[in-house]
Amino acid sequence: MADSLLSSPGLTTYDILSRHGVSRRDFLSFCAITAASLGLEAQQVPAVVEALETKPRLPVIWLHGLECTCCSESFIRSSHPIAQDVVLNMISLDYDDTLQAAAGHQVEQIRKDLIEQAKRGETEYVLAVEGNAPTKDGGVYCTVAGETFLDVLRETAEHAKFVIAWGSCACNGCVQAAAPNPTGARPVHECITGKPIVKVPGCPPIAEVMTGVLTYVLTFGRLPELDRVGRPKMFYKQRLHDKCLRRSFFDAGQFVESWDDDGARKGWCLYKMGCRGPTTYNSCATFKWNGGVSWPIGSGHGCIGCSEENFWDDGPFYSRLAKTPLPGIEATPQKVGIALTAAAGVGIAAHLAALAIKRGRAAATENKAKEA
Amino acid sequence: MATRVVVDPVTRIEGHLRVEAMLDSDNKVHEALSSGTMWRGIEVILKGRDPRDAWAFAERICGVCTTVHALASVRSVENAVGITVPKVAEIVRNIMFLTQMVQDHVIHFYHLHALDWVDVVSALSADPAATATLAQQVSPHWPKSSEGYFRDTAATLKKFVESGQLGLFANAYWGHPAYKLPPEANLMAVAHYLEALKWQKELIKIHTVFGGKNPHPNYLVGGMPCSIDLQSDNAINIERLELVRAKILEARDIVEQLYVPDLLAIASFYKDWAAIGEGLGSYMCYGDVPQNGIGDPAHFRFPRGAILHKNLGEVLPVDPTHGDEILEEVGRSWYRYPEGKAALHPWEGHTEAHYTGPKPPYEHLDENGAYSWLKTPRWKGNPVEVGPLARMLVGYASGRADFKAVVDGALGKLGVPATALFSTLGRTAARGLESQLAVGWLQDEYDRLIEALKGGDNNTADTIRWEPATWPKDCKGFGFTEAPRGALGHWIHIQDGKIANYQCVVPTTWNASPKDAQGRRGAYESALIGTPMADPQKPVEILRTIHSFDPCLACASH
Amino acid sequence: MSQITAPYAAAPAEPIFKQELVWQWPIRLFHWLNALAFVVLFLTGLYISDPIFSPAGEAYGNQTMGYVRMTHFIAAAVFTVGFFWRICWFWLGNRYARSGFPYVWRARWWRNLVRQTWDYLRLDFGHVHMGHNALAGLAYTLVPVIGGWVMILTGLALFGQSNPDGFWDSLCGWVIPMLGGGLRTHMWHHLVAWLFLVFAIVHVYIVVLDGTQQRNGLISSMISGRKFYPADEKPGSHDED
Ligand code: HEM
Ligand code: HEM
Ligand code: NFV
Ligand code: SF4
Ligand code: SF4
Ligand code: F3S
Ligand SMILES: [Mg+2]
Repeated sequence: MADSLLSSPGLTTYDILSRHGVSRRDFLSFCAITAASLGLEAQQVPAVVEALETKPRLPVIWLHGLECTCCSESFIRSSHPIAQDVVLNMISLDYDDTLQAAAGHQVEQIRKDLIEQAKRGETEYVLAVEGNAPTKDGGVYCTVAGETFLDVLRETAEHAKFVIAWGSCACNGCVQAAAPNPTGARPVHECITGKPIVKVPGCPPIAEVMTGVLTYVLTFGRLPELDRVGRPKMFYKQRLHDKCLRRSFFDAGQFVESWDDDGARKGWCLYKMGCRGPTTYNSCATFKWNGGVSWPIGSGHGCIGCSEENFWDDGPFYSRLAKTPLPGIEATPQKVGIALTAAAGVGIAAHLAALAIKRGRAAATENKAKEA
Repeated sequence: MATRVVVDPVTRIEGHLRVEAMLDSDNKVHEALSSGTMWRGIEVILKGRDPRDAWAFAERICGVCTTVHALASVRSVENAVGITVPKVAEIVRNIMFLTQMVQDHVIHFYHLHALDWVDVVSALSADPAATATLAQQVSPHWPKSSEGYFRDTAATLKKFVESGQLGLFANAYWGHPAYKLPPEANLMAVAHYLEALKWQKELIKIHTVFGGKNPHPNYLVGGMPCSIDLQSDNAINIERLELVRAKILEARDIVEQLYVPDLLAIASFYKDWAAIGEGLGSYMCYGDVPQNGIGDPAHFRFPRGAILHKNLGEVLPVDPTHGDEILEEVGRSWYRYPEGKAALHPWEGHTEAHYTGPKPPYEHLDENGAYSWLKTPRWKGNPVEVGPLARMLVGYASGRADFKAVVDGALGKLGVPATALFSTLGRTAARGLESQLAVGWLQDEYDRLIEALKGGDNNTADTIRWEPATWPKDCKGFGFTEAPRGALGHWIHIQDGKIANYQCVVPTTWNASPKDAQGRRGAYESALIGTPMADPQKPVEILRTIHSFDPCLACASH
Repeated sequence: MSQITAPYAAAPAEPIFKQELVWQWPIRLFHWLNALAFVVLFLTGLYISDPIFSPAGEAYGNQTMGYVRMTHFIAAAVFTVGFFWRICWFWLGNRYARSGFPYVWRARWWRNLVRQTWDYLRLDFGHVHMGHNALAGLAYTLVPVIGGWVMILTGLALFGQSNPDGFWDSLCGWVIPMLGGGLRTHMWHHLVAWLFLVFAIVHVYIVVLDGTQQRNGLISSMISGRKFYPADEKPGSHDED
């Protein structure tokens, strides 16, 4: 699929860059930066150069379901490569209702045409999905042009080369799938079948991770290596906790105990404020956010685990542990454990008391028998 | 036979909006339906949760106006349980608020709205030298106005078009008779579209400094989670504050030398739009940017108040906590209220989905039934418009000198009377003018922050009421802000430390709402009435007026 | 099988109690290592969960959490090795090593279970076993065995989180998505830790109670391996296993 994927006609990134006055040296350094941001080895830079030099732009259909559009917002904040370069030079963003110039049936026509062309084998496109589909009540909680989003998603996925699931909405369901999930929101992989999916979770994902995934796909014509739950390893391999600047304070046992206390000002570890860093895989600690300026933990708030499944329902965010799944009561395992231990103590005391009473009675009977 | 124009999806907005417009024989809109076609149920999801977590859920109502729901949310909890945030935290919140407003407005103007006025294809025939001259006239101090710069932009555009892959620009309305700009103005606008795209990610770094990331920076009930300590290399220190200062200065340049000049230049070609899209003529805002605590609206930079029926002579007081000033109806929405209830104050609000629309796939909505996932909010029974225009008018009518200066300045430059404000153009202009105020205030707030820090005050969080055990058993709160799209309110009811009820009435809920029980339209629908359409197949005119509100439908239905 | 005679000289030469080696040394060794590991794991686990004391001074001078976690991991290694060793000994050991195991398909086990439960409830300790009674066996299977699997799998999965694609992650990492994420894995690990505590308390209580009430040398049996039974008991009247 590597080459066929990119077989649609058009100018390459290099054509375009060079024609708007970018020298070959600038172009090579652009490739090197892009490769570095992908975490590629130096010897892989030529692959990036080759891809951007020789491959036409990659057609992308970007759908929006139940979501907050934050993933799009994040995307346009990318620094390496910047969004402009991605949209003008790397991909052909053929359908995206957030940024599209056309509206209504004109824009739907674009999508339908692309699907038709793909059916006939004239082109290939990648489906990027932001948000997810409501499945309850026939999907009426999200419609586009009078069709349910669920149908639009399935129809568009069927002829896509592969699917990129943007953000926790598309990957895990995210906020609208949090209990009680009023609309029956389901992540993309539960709505479609038989397509390779790369999950790019985060609420939203980091901009450079998003553009990085696109660059990788464009460069190598295939999906990057995925982890156990379908995320690209290159960006989701490591826990934040293992890359965190506050980790030395964690190991030392120095923790922020309350907001803006002395420890907070010294940058101590946010573990006791509920930080989800120890269970969260993302690139925040490495890439940081918005061009490397900071990241949640860097600015004093614990990670809420926004790239992990179920993170909305594992709150409260300021308690260190997820609640127990015991129905009806909302308790941390500590509380349940202490209650169970107390119950055992009471049980033992009762047992001992009963034993004492029984022995007392037996002794009394014996005494009486003796006296008699 | 009347034509029915359906625009679905309305693009270059946030979320899922459908507009159906009925045209007269002369192709003017005489009836319109504005329908939100997506609902997630965030209010329902919030029930029963820890109020201290609510900001994060609420923030995900929208990623475009990210921040404002978080701000309204923490304020609602603080209001309910009786927390006063420290002064420094309040200033930091103000800085983040104003940053968001400016960034959102710039993105709206260039990336969501401009293509309604700018013909990208016409830009291809522009002369780069003439474009440079035009640009230098429009904004003498803006550095990037050389001929070479525009030649490069034209070349990029040309190659892009020649590639045959038009991407975002495919199938649009290029060449439509409603486009009036000369090719050079079009080229200038395209160049600045790209310029603004590069820049918007810069300003937002202010959020990253204080909130750790953007979109969706972090907030905290009781203050802000970032500690400030000029001595510490692990807290917000002078290096971080310098970054904030630099970004504020950049923002001022962008707004004053790029955004506002472009806005006025483009507007000067479209003065006819100062008579189209008037809408309700009634406006409301809650006010924001407190100078002396959120409980003291008299000292807000954005004043609170309402204007009814274009009467700029009187600003009416607004009290969103008063039992029946703000009521929401669901008669024309896909929700159900308890038996016998027609309108509810948000503290008593009720969100229960009840779809009665046509079964998808469908051609048309039912104009006589319920047709939207938005509720219908009313202020003292009136449909009102919220947003930049409402804020500018309330500030102006309140006699505030800073508002008068920017508004009168712009009217003077365009040579139009104050009544021009009640229009599609007025709405779009108000957004730019308010950005002008906002960049000035950003600097002021930054100065206030530094002054407080110099005075030794760097407390960013009040934690006395952090534990729910310290809260009243049963309490209600109102949190609000002036989001980019207008007045935003969150009403919370807390019982035993848990959320018993949570209701949001959002700017776009006000503006895009379906009709009320008396059949009165909301702002979108009424602004569309009378809009002339050159070609009903190509709904540019509808897009112009709808975009002038900067729709956000994820916000509106939540 | 050896015999002891009553310690007082005037007594008849007849033995009063007979004794038998019930717990072979591997069981005893396992038992005490396991008990020790549990105590260490529980205490360090609680600290990991809620580090209540914070050292002062610079981070580089301190390693409190680091040491506590390291101790947890060393104890976890002891616990895990012991666990698998004990499972092997189920087949390698004498018949008592298999005693009490919930042979749910055997009517005898169920009878035994009902009888033992009834005995405890009506406070009667007359009934003698050599190995584990059915109730004890059930308890050991539920907490130290099944619970032990949970602790080891969740523990190793969490341990593997710091080295993705490493040995432990490859071996046990699947547990995390199965339980719905890392945070939920912590929650289960923590919850079952308390079940171990409850088990340990009840277990020690019953051992002490049974031992003192029956005077069968139960407590010391985990040291010496030997258990006593009345010499005048009819053969076959105590449980075979
Ligand atoms: C002072 C403390 C303890 C004493 C005196 C003690 C004594 C005993 C005795 C006498 C038995 C055999 C009981 C029977 O016949 O059913 C036994 C078995 C057992 N005990 Fe303990 N115990 C202690 C603490 C613990 C602790 C803390 C744990 C671990 C959580 C533990 C786990 C076990 C297990 C798993 C068995 C079954 C042994 C096997 O079949 O391999 N014990 N203990
Ligand atoms: C009966 C045996 C065990 C008990 C009672 C126990 C107890 C605990 C407790 C209470 C915690 C704190 C959990 C939390 O609040 O997040 C913990 C954490 C942990 N335990 Fe165990 N544990 C046991 C066995 C094991 C085993 C066999 C391993 C295997 C390596 C293990 C590895 C861990 C790890 C990796 C953590 C997390 C440490 C961290 O996040 O820094 N535990 N344990
Ligand atoms: N309407 C709206 Fe928002 C704004 N501005 C929210 O409060 O956009 Ni997403
Ligand atoms: S994943 Fe989060 S940021 Fe992205 S659309 Fe969903 S709610 Fe918004
Ligand atoms: S702040 Fe969070 S991620 Fe960083 S060391 Fe502490 S617990 Fe780990
Ligand atoms: S909350 Fe999300 S942004 Fe990063 S630090 Fe945590 S994964
Ligand atoms: Mg609402």
